[in-house]
Amino acid sequence: MKVQIVLAGIGGQGILFSSKIFSELGLRLGLDVMGSETHGMSQRGGSVTAHLKLGGYQSPMIRTDTADILYSFEEKETYRTLRFLRRAGTCFINLLSEDRFDKKILDHLKKKEITLRAYDASGAASKIGSILTANIMLIGYSVGTGLVPFRHEDLRCVLASVSKKKDLKMNLKAFDSAVREGRSSLNPL
Amino acid sequence: MAEKETRILLGNAAIARGLVEAGCHVVTSYPGTPSSEIIPAVVEYKKELGLNTYIEWSANEKVAFDNALAASLTGKRSAVAMKQVGLNVASDSLLSSAYTGVIGGMVVISCDDPGPLSSQTEQDSRFFAMFAKVPAYDPSTPQEAKEMVKEAFELSEAYQIPVILRPTIKVSHAKQSVKISPVKVLDRKADFKKDPERWAATPKYRFVLHKKLNEALKKIEERFEQESRWNYEVKASRDAPLGIITCSVSFAVLMDILEELDLKKEINIFKVGTPFPLPQKRVADFIERHKRVLVMEETDSVIEYQIVDKSKVLGRLTGHIPLQGELTPDVIYDILARVLKEMGMADLEKSGDERLAKLIEDLNIDVRRPTLCAGCPERAAFFAIKRALPRAIYSSDIGCYTLGLNLKAVDTVLDMGAGITLASGFYHAYHQDENDVPIVATMGDSTFYHSGPASLLNAVYNKARFVLVIMDNEITAMTGMQPTPGSGITAEGSKGEKISLEELIKGCGVRWIKTIDPYDVENLIVLLKEARKYTQKRDGGIAVIVARHPCLIRYPDVCRENPVKVVITSDCDGCQYCLDYFECPALYLNEEKDRVEIDRNFCVDCGVCIHACPKGAIIPV
Ligand code: SF4
Ligand code: SF4
Repeated sequence: MKVQIVLAGIGGQGILFSSKIFSELGLRLGLDVMGSETHGMSQRGGSVTAHLKLGGYQSPMIRTDTADILYSFEEKETYRTLRFLRRAGTCFINLLSEDRFDKKILDHLKKKEITLRAYDASGAASKIGSILTANIMLIGYSVGTGLVPFRHEDLRCVLASVSKKKDLKMNLKAFDSAVREGRSSLNPL
Repeated sequence: MAEKETRILLGNAAIARGLVEAGCHVVTSYPGTPSSEIIPAVVEYKKELGLNTYIEWSANEKVAFDNALAASLTGKRSAVAMKQVGLNVASDSLLSSAYTGVIGGMVVISCDDPGPLSSQTEQDSRFFAMFAKVPAYDPSTPQEAKEMVKEAFELSEAYQIPVILRPTIKVSHAKQSVKISPVKVLDRKADFKKDPERWAATPKYRFVLHKKLNEALKKIEERFEQESRWNYEVKASRDAPLGIITCSVSFAVLMDILEELDLKKEINIFKVGTPFPLPQKRVADFIERHKRVLVMEETDSVIEYQIVDKSKVLGRLTGHIPLQGELTPDVIYDILARVLKEMGMADLEKSGDERLAKLIEDLNIDVRRPTLCAGCPERAAFFAIKRALPRAIYSSDIGCYTLGLNLKAVDTVLDMGAGITLASGFYHAYHQDENDVPIVATMGDSTFYHSGPASLLNAVYNKARFVLVIMDNEITAMTGMQPTPGSGITAEGSKGEKISLEELIKGCGVRWIKTIDPYDVENLIVLLKEARKYTQKRDGGIAVIVARHPCLIRYPDVCRENPVKVVITSDCDGCQYCLDYFECPALYLNEEKDRVEIDRNFCVDCGVCIHACPKGAIIPV
């Protein structure tokens, strides 16, 4: 497998934790892992972006038009990072619904065969008991939809191994619940 | 631990791993992006593996350099880590020690910041290698950085010379699955062999040392010519008219792009891992075999300048590579597209989606600029300064508080320590014309320990007058929470000797020193006005206020001790004064109601904003 992932959000949303999940996933699957994160100034409430490249890349940065998947934890940050996504790529946004997304851009993305899925990860995370799990839930949701090449069991194991002891139960609960939501989103009632 | 275990490591952690794998005995550093994670990673390895490494956060980079150098003079292996501008501070020691040399291997890690993303310059540390006449290694990936560290120690010992490792930010902050090797424990006892002719060389003997240095460099160049591990060709499968000489992360980026575009078979690559001294023969031979050779390197043109015959060379000097900025994948793609086109080799698709870019531009999304955290004591201090002395010249310094820019309470940021030196310079320039202007210098505690005392005692000695506010948050916050001498905690988390900021200031000759919690905005305003008066009194002088309140991120519990919950009443008329001049991230405009509200997810109940609203609409519950 060769896959390039962009994670976007703002400081404090767990971008670095999410990036850790994917890099450890790569390690577990025996893939070469390369990636980069923004540090420094950007941590003071500014934009945070992480790039992750699994399966035999040399550089830690993703070129415009080449990312396979974009996870965005905030609507505005999506617009800022959309350019990385390739034709026919996939994008998951932490957003109430797709209708909230800019209509013109949505149409344009459709023309590029880009799949965009909105999931209210923040809402779901608050409901489950910890807003801090929103990042995990967005990832879980994507796995549930089957639109990404990651297996539920693999990610779950990795999540368990990187979670702090005190967060472990909550993280897994949030993750599993989001995977279920992702699955059921495929068969609307 | 398995022989060839693989771990996900940050570039800086891989460098730290290289240090322990090489058996390095002493590691020193002053924190600075992008180098700050090296020391904490060494501390972790020390704990994990039960090593005896001596690790220190030093007061500044020169201090760090000298401490590491001394260890090497006793025969031990040592390393010093810093960001690129830190090497400016340590350059005096670097240049001198290139002459006197080392005994145990010494590696100088200087992390560059093309962009710049978090620095005041884009300077290229490899120029310092040339300037000081010491060899430099230039890694492309974390894995390579780790291996180069080990090799650098060998080279350093073989030629008794300090060696520079120059990772750029995208190596230091890259994450990679890195194969780790066993750790070496070198049993060396400190054994300084006196040799005053060398270690205390007079100018006359310095000439001899310089000659020896030049001879060593020549030999190192020859060794680099033979070097196939770091300097190697990636050959095209057919005759290639175009060759590219490249190094650092640019090499990695280029390889990914060539792979993606299936162009590997068309272009020969010469990857240089030792940019100084440049393996001249191999470079010349490579150029010889091509019609044109593109030299692609970050951040400046160190390899390009060294190339003797540039007639076939394309690079910065021919305008093919931008003179400033990071060589991101997009930039490298565009450079490649242009060169391939000029040579009639290929016509690459234009990168980027213009339509998408236009649609996004039309959304007019405001860029989220970095700002001080909600409840940051430095915001409170800046706000009080603006209130008390609105017409002052504000000289500031490097740290989180540089963000005081947003509050319009920062007029200058030059380098570490310049908050004080520029203030005294401003004073004398105006005073010469018999003009009395208010000047307020601001500086953080860590920056003060780094380079404050010499600046301050100079200002006192030369009778400058200004107000200095030292924002003491008891930590080096900007670079990721490293302890300061004032916290009395060492790099390893153990107890060191606590340095008293007030006594230090007193020792610099300052006679007016007051300490206050900046959350007490009203009294801080009074104190600032008093301080200003003192600078105007006949027998007055420099007035120093220590605004002490711990960093919220580092010490969240201290801040929760006396919460002041606030609400915004219906008196708020949406004037947005608080947003523009106070800028707490917890305050936001509710556009529907045209009123400011508090985002409880961010608010830390500091209560400082009570003072920010001119309408008195923000009140305690
Ligand atoms: S809270 Fe006060 S300063 Fe802020 S917008 Fe309302 S009235 Fe203006
Ligand atoms: S109390 Fe006011 S200044 Fe303090 S964090 Fe909350 S909104 Fe910001």
